Order: sequence, then C-alpha cells, then structure tokens
Amino acid sequence: MSELTLGRHTATTPAKPRSRTLWQQIVRYRESYLLLLPTFLLILIFNYYPAGSALYHSLFEWNGANLKQFTGLNNFVQMASDKTLWQSFGNLVQLTLFAVVINLIFPLGAAALIFHLRNLPMAYFYRVLFVVPMVVPGVVVLMIWRFIYSPNLGLLNELLRATGQEALVRPWLGDFTLALYAIMFIGFPWVAGFATLIYLAGFQAIPLELLDSAAIDGASTRQRFFSVELPLVMSQIKLVTILTVIGSFQNFATILVMTNGGPGTVTMVPGLFLYRNAMHYNKMGYACAIGTLMFVITLALTYLNTRYLKSSVEYTGG
Amino acid sequence: MTRTFRHDFPIHLVLAVVAVLTFYPFLFMVFTSFKTSPQFIHDFWGLPWPLTVANYRDAWTRIAVYLVNSIIVSGVSMVGVLILASISGFVFARFNFPGRELFFFAILGLLMIPGVLTLVPAFLLVKSFGLLNTYGALILPYIAGGQIFAIFILRSFIASLPEEMFEAARLDGASTWQAFRHIAIPLSKPILVTIAIMNILGTWNDYIWPLVTTPDGKLWTISVGIVTFSNSFRGLESWGPMFAGYVIASIPLIVIFLFSMRYFIAGLTSGAIKA
Repeated sequence: MSELTLGRHTATTPAKPRSRTLWQQIVRYRESYLLLLPTFLLILIFNYYPAGSALYHSLFEWNGANLKQFTGLNNFVQMASDKTLWQSFGNLVQLTLFAVVINLIFPLGAAALIFHLRNLPMAYFYRVLFVVPMVVPGVVVLMIWRFIYSPNLGLLNELLRATGQEALVRPWLGDFTLALYAIMFIGFPWVAGFATLIYLAGFQAIPLELLDSAAIDGASTRQRFFSVELPLVMSQIKLVTILTVIGSFQNFATILVMTNGGPGTVTMVPGLFLYRNAMHYNKMGYACAIGTLMFVITLALTYLNTRYLKSSVEYTGG
Repeated sequence: MTRTFRHDFPIHLVLAVVAVLTFYPFLFMVFTSFKTSPQFIHDFWGLPWPLTVANYRDAWTRIAVYLVNSIIVSGVSMVGVLILASISGFVFARFNFPGRELFFFAILGLLMIPGVLTLVPAFLLVKSFGLLNTYGALILPYIAGGQIFAIFILRSFIASLPEEMFEAARLDGASTWQAFRHIAIPLSKPILVTIAIMNILGTWNDYIWPLVTTPDGKLWTISVGIVTFSNSFRGLESWGPMFAGYVIASIPLIVIFLFSMRYFIAGLTSGAIKA
C-alpha cells in the first residue's frame, strides 16, 4: 500500500508502464477498482439492471409476478393501434412545442431586458428575484395552479367574476377542450426559471467591444439586439431548446397531479399512460414496451441534437 | 444617474409587471394561509387581518412527518452522493488505470436512459428486495442515480487541479487517502456545495418515485405528502390550513437558499444542464 501512493495523471504518464503486462497494471491499480466498486455496484443494480430488464420485458406479457409469457413484438403491434397512446403522443408533441416556443420568447425577453438595464445593482436584484420562485417546491407550485384553476373559489374564476366576465367562468381543468391549454399555461409568465438564468449568462458573456462598436456604428437598440446580441446567444437558445424538449418529454408528474390525464384521456401523456398500465392495470410488459419506445425516441433526439445543434456551441464559445 | 434612470425606466416598467404576475400567486398563498374560511369567502382579495396563526398549527401537525421524511431522505442521499461521487470523481481524474475510459463511458451512458424506461423494473426490483415502505427504497436509488452527474462534474473539476500539488504531496510521502482528503476535497468545496444543493433540489421535488415505492404513506416525502394533504381538503370549506401547509412545505428550501444563494444559482443552472 505504501509504495502505491498516487497514480500519475494522463499527461505525465511515462512510457514505462507499457512494458508491464495488462494484468500487472490491473494489479498495480487494484486500489482504483476497489474505490470505484460502490459506485458501480449501485448503478449496476439500480440503473443498468432496470434498463436492461425494461428492454427485455417489452417482449413479454408480464404482470410483474406469476404471469410472464414471451409474445415477441406483440406489445409493439398492440401499441400501433392503441388510440390512447397515439392521443398521448399527440398531447406530448403539443405540450413540447408550446414549451419550446414559450421558452424562446418570455425568458429570453426577460433576460434581454435585465441585460439592457444600465443600473447594475437593479439588474442583479431582478436576477435574484426571478430565482426565488424556483426555490418553491415544484409540487407546491402545481398545487397553487390547481387552486388558480379551481372551479369554485379559484383565483382565475374569481378574477373573471370581479371584472364582469362571468360568461367565461368554467372548471378549467375539467373542460374537455381547454384542459390541455390550461396545463400549457401553468407557470405564466414563464420568466422565473433556469432558462432566464442561462440566457442572462449568455448575454453577459458577450464581449463589451462588440456592443461598443455597434453603438459607435450608430446601431439602434433594436438593431443591436437582433444583429449582435441574438446571434451571440444562439448557443444558449439551442441549449434551452434541448433542455425544454427533454424536460417536457420526461415529465408526467405535472399531468398526474393536475388532471391525472383527464377529463377522459384528453390530457394523457405517454409517461402517465406507462405509469397507469404498470401500476393500475398490472400490464408491466406493455408499460416496458412504451418505455422502450420512449427510450428510442430519446436516442433519436440525442442523435439529432449532436448532429444538428451541438456543433455550433463550440464556435460561439458557449 | 438621472440619465441612467430615464434609460431604464421603460424596462423597469415591463419587468415590474412581469414580477407582479410571477409573484402574485405566491403572495396570495401567504395571505390566504392567515385567513379563516369566512374571511376567505367574504374578502377573497383582501389582506388577512386579524392573522389566523392557528392555520399553521393545524397544518404543521399534519405535514411535519412528511417534512421530517424529506429531510432524512434528501439529507442522507446528498451525503451518500457526495461521498461516492467525490471518491469516484477523484479516481477517474487522477489515476490512469486500464479501462478508465470504458468505465467512465459506462457512467456517462446512463445520462441517455430516461427515467420512464427504468421506472417499472426498478420498482419491481425494490419490491423484490423487500424495501417497499422503507427509507432504503428512496435513498439507495437516489444515491445510485444522483452520483452519475456528480461524478461527471467532479471528474473534470479534479482533473483541472494542477498536477504539481499532487506531485509534491507524493514526494512528501502522502498516501492516496491523504491526497484525497487534504488536497482534492478542500479545493473542490465550492463545487461540492453546488452538487449538494442540486441533489437536494432533485430529491426534494421528486414525486413519482416516492409515490410508487412508499405506498403505505408513512414515509411519504413532502412532495407526495402535500398533494394528499391538499386532496384531503376537497369539499371542505377550509382554505387557510391548506395554504399554511404549502408555506410550511416551502420553508426548508427557502432557508437553504438564503444561506447559499450563489451556490444555489449555480446549482440550478447546472441542474438544468443535467436534465
């Protein structure tokens, strides 16, 4: 143990170890493997095994206990004609597109406004101010929105009554046509989130000389924003877009808490449908098949992202 | 000064409107938490006076247990993640053992696996271990999952530390443990705090996993507990205690925020990058 002190960093590794056999090297570094053991035990048990199990059991009719029958691609065939699943993917696409558009407008606008303030202490104040709501637990925020939409003494309905718009009063989350839009609207005005922070960091990284030369050339505030600032925060815009898509794709707790997919199944999303198949209908195999499909879509999105979006992050200096 | 103000004024106007729209629901929550039901019904928009502090007593007796569960689960998970991730991050950063890249890739690859894929088998696994309705059902998977991104961050941070320091320690006869304990860890302190906060936020806000793995309700964390607590008010004309519960549930994270604002903001942004 004592002669085995610190391993050498890659950059300074001398050529000497090459003369040793691989086995000698492994023995020499046994301490490293031992130290990594707890980490790998945990991820093998709680991450790799469940992932593999999900892919494997997507080919079975499985109730998680006694019934386990290999059915080949039957689950996937069944999925192709499952109306609720199609509906839930339709909802997911709408929710995701809406979230992407929102995050391209409101947080970007707020970050640009804060960046344009000349009074820097005030700019700092707003930055902190818009972080505070993120500290409130996510579920509490959802509970507040459930109250806002509440059919009886809800904030939104009371506001409509107070302003004489009684005709518009309705049970927002129980309305077949409006429930999905009500869910999209959660978080309005959407500025208190990580997107604002990321955009702001992007604006603040713009070299001052660029802004100065734009000013010297007589650019208006508008020209400065669209021709100088916006192109320079493009990598942040892409980052926020990717994160929004992935976040929207994974999140079904919001729907579970707000509407549980209802009324009917008009606000169903794939994650919640998977959850319901597993926990309520005991169709574990079918749930795993839905999970597998979502995994494949995630991989496809990751591929598209590295192929078309990520490359530009480097040359703008992210 | 006046020129600055004249330039900033329209911006302040817009930001103020946005801030009011953002914060009004939260203020409404706080106001209502101090109201009796008649006050709420007859004076919906008004300020609460006199303050009904009893709402907080009612809410506290019902959600304190969830808050304690959350503090235990998030606290223990956070400590576990810090210990495992700092050891593994250190090993990946400073030892050139055979297979290092392969092992690291095995950890990185997990970032591509969505939680919905593993949800069902992970639940059945925890069930088969007999861990349902125990702290282990929450803490062990939280440590397993939480360490992934933490290792990723810590590896690059510890690798960026100058080799000379470790070289000097080695010449002075320092053991691996001493180099870890007295060089790597003290220098990584800011990043460790950020990871800790990020991790607490993640486990504190998680809803699905505790809902699935602690069905009997005794070990519910605050996220699950508060929804059930809120549902129990359905049909009851009792808003004050409900909103008081929401406020109580928000206090621990706000306290952490007040004491570590800078790390908190760093944690939120890096937490975003994780997702």
